[in-house]
Amino acid sequence: MKHIMGNVSRRSFLKTGAVLGGGVLGGGMPLSQVIWAAEGKVLRACSDGDITKLDPAFYNRQVEVDVMSCIYSKLIRYKPGSEWGWELDAAESIEQVDPTHIRFRLKKGIKFTGGHGEMAAKDVKFSIERIFKHKSFLAPQWGSFDRVELEDDYTGVIVFKTPFVPVWLLSLTDATGHVLSEDAVMKATKDGGDFGLKPPAFSGPYVLADWKPNQYILLTRNPEWAGPKPGFDEIRVVPVDDLKARERAYLAGDVDFTSISLDSLAGFKSNPPADTKVEEWPSLWYYWIGMNMDHPKLKDINVRKAIQWAINVPQILDAAFAGQVNVATGTIAPGLVGHRAKALVPPEGDLAKAKEFLEKAGVNNLTVSIDCTSDSLNSTIAQTVQAQLSQIGISVEVNIRDNSSFWTLGMESEGERWKDLQLIVNGFIGLPDPNYNTNPFLQNQIGIWNWERFRSARYDELAAKANTIDDPDARGKLYQEMQDLMEDSGCYRFLTNGANPVIYRTTKTLASTRPDGAPLFYDFQPV
Amino acid sequence: MVRVEIIRPEPNDAVATGTFLRQLRKNRLGVLGALLVVLVFVSAFFAPLIITHDPIKIMVGPRLAPPSLDFLLGTDQLGRDTFSRVIMGGRIPLLVAFASLGSALAVGVVLGLIAGFGPRWLDNLLLLVFDTIRSFPGIIFALAIIALVGPSLASIIFVIAMTSVPIYARVLRTQAQGLLSSEYIAAERSMGAGTARILGVHVLPNVIGPLLILVSMDVPAVIAWEAGLSFLGMGVRPPTPDWGAVLNDGYSYINQTPWLVIGSGIPIVLATLGFTFLGEALRDIFDPKLRKDL
Repeated sequence: MKHIMGNVSRRSFLKTGAVLGGGVLGGGMPLSQVIWAAEGKVLRACSDGDITKLDPAFYNRQVEVDVMSCIYSKLIRYKPGSEWGWELDAAESIEQVDPTHIRFRLKKGIKFTGGHGEMAAKDVKFSIERIFKHKSFLAPQWGSFDRVELEDDYTGVIVFKTPFVPVWLLSLTDATGHVLSEDAVMKATKDGGDFGLKPPAFSGPYVLADWKPNQYILLTRNPEWAGPKPGFDEIRVVPVDDLKARERAYLAGDVDFTSISLDSLAGFKSNPPADTKVEEWPSLWYYWIGMNMDHPKLKDINVRKAIQWAINVPQILDAAFAGQVNVATGTIAPGLVGHRAKALVPPEGDLAKAKEFLEKAGVNNLTVSIDCTSDSLNSTIAQTVQAQLSQIGISVEVNIRDNSSFWTLGMESEGERWKDLQLIVNGFIGLPDPNYNTNPFLQNQIGIWNWERFRSARYDELAAKANTIDDPDARGKLYQEMQDLMEDSGCYRFLTNGANPVIYRTTKTLASTRPDGAPLFYDFQPV
Repeated sequence: MVRVEIIRPEPNDAVATGTFLRQLRKNRLGVLGALLVVLVFVSAFFAPLIITHDPIKIMVGPRLAPPSLDFLLGTDQLGRDTFSRVIMGGRIPLLVAFASLGSALAVGVVLGLIAGFGPRWLDNLLLLVFDTIRSFPGIIFALAIIALVGPSLASIIFVIAMTSVPIYARVLRTQAQGLLSSEYIAAERSMGAGTARILGVHVLPNVIGPLLILVSMDVPAVIAWEAGLSFLGMGVRPPTPDWGAVLNDGYSYINQTPWLVIGSGIPIVLATLGFTFLGEALRDIFDPKLRKDL
């Protein structure tokens, strides 16, 4: 020690120390991370918001799905690429024994972190059954699920009460299909309930190493992962609510993967930044203007219909999406089972008809409010609706909310604000099975995700029936009727399914996405 | 009984104004500031006569069009005329500045005088309240309040007034306490003048001058605050035209057109510079310590 120190003068020691320390502080990173980052390959990506939950049975947002698919395993998962399909993940094999029974066999050697042992069939049973036991609002994703029967440590049979067709492209493949460690969850929560943002154990190729709210979500390699080695040593997800801000983050070099706005798509295509690939994916989202039918001002169906007919959808899409998206006919995107060829109200609406409805309602000088999130897309939609409704004499007050405040507006569990909700600019994630895209509007979702408080016994009945029908045509007809019911209630004016262009830096990564452009981070390859 | 006759000097307003103007003329930045302020006021006041289109009507032109004879600063993402929105948009910052600072001044003066002249316990209590409000970081306080009460013009004015009151009240309290020990107040008291008369007739005119300069120097900060809150979507409700809101639109669409940012950014810069220069000039003129010619 003495010998080493003897060769280093005090001045040069201080100099080197200052340079190192300054560099670390200047970079805003803890020392351990600097060393780690210098060693490994880091994927930096933007997400459309921050995580609010990492419990797959109670998740809320797409970013959580993206993160959870890195830190947990599930029996099967969506295949990357342009066709919706599934591939094996934690399951070694899986087969439909009959319409109500699915037998699976787990791969051996999948370890839960924290000494919680190997993944077993009992963990699959626990993970699915807790969705029902703890009354998750996501339970409809598992439809008529009854139980899981265990055959041995690795084999089990998932049993449904009635045939449940959505199981392959929804229940098993979406986030609620993730397998958690029974041991770890029971120890962490006592009753096996919602563990919020603190995963008790990981079972995927990555672990959650750090999370700074609204700054970053840091995933690092799971040292106990025995499966195929993922490409990156570290994934740093930066949550940015505003689409335009995400583009800036990419252009500034802060991230190497992000979704971009349709407004900017043409510019990125004609004049792409250096080493950038632009990919356009069709989106399964559905955007709509919702109306809370329980609000005194909107109780009269004629008022709601007047608003439906006064809204000119193509004009909104021109203003907010640069006219580069389709007009939605309902909640089910083109190409999926149950897509409607056209809506009941023509896209352009009809002001004369809107005024007729308003006269029938006998309403004058109506002022309504419209709530939307603060990003440029949603506030542009709100302002266009505001201008359109002024043409039939309805004044609209625009309430711009930040994300966290907006997403609890219609939830009865979050206070009394749902009572004041009137018009809403809303957009939900879609998945390839139509069940997912129609679930939020069931009666049991009122005050949870059904903010319009739309209720129709016929709708619920059709939804239950559609789950049991295998024939896509027959099944599709039921979903079409369900969307007719929604529209006929006057509570909904469907806007678009959107589109999802993404960009990534080809010198850093080769991106891998689902057919709707959602990133499958574990499958990204470094360049 | 001896009668004391107070001989008041004849006020000579014309001379005072002349001196002021001479001082201002010497201060080039002050003149520039005054011109900019006049420009901002005139454009805001006569805005309805200047604008070429309805500032809130959408699709009066193509989206994000470049400047042309019909649309002098182009159009925004909703096809609204940017020039008309920018001109009308000047009214909001001025309204916010004067409403919030005016009300803050009125409340600050009253509270400051009460703190300065009132009993010791009341002074301590008021100081505690002032310091509590001031201890919050301004912008965080504003964001929190607006998140609670919802974004609107009234909430911005309320927040700015609320955060400015303690500053004015504290300045006034200190000045008033300084005056309290002066001899002419003691003389007033000995002649039997009441507190209200002492405060209103003798103290206030002596302390209001420096306070007004302080207010004038706060105007640019308030304009920037208002623009900042609107930029963050916490300002006026859409579709009200406002510089901060237009700037936010410009930020969102900067890849398509720079004109929204230019059109709203330049007025914010000019207005804040104008009020700053003017405020500094006023301070230089009225503060004898800063006057070079004395």
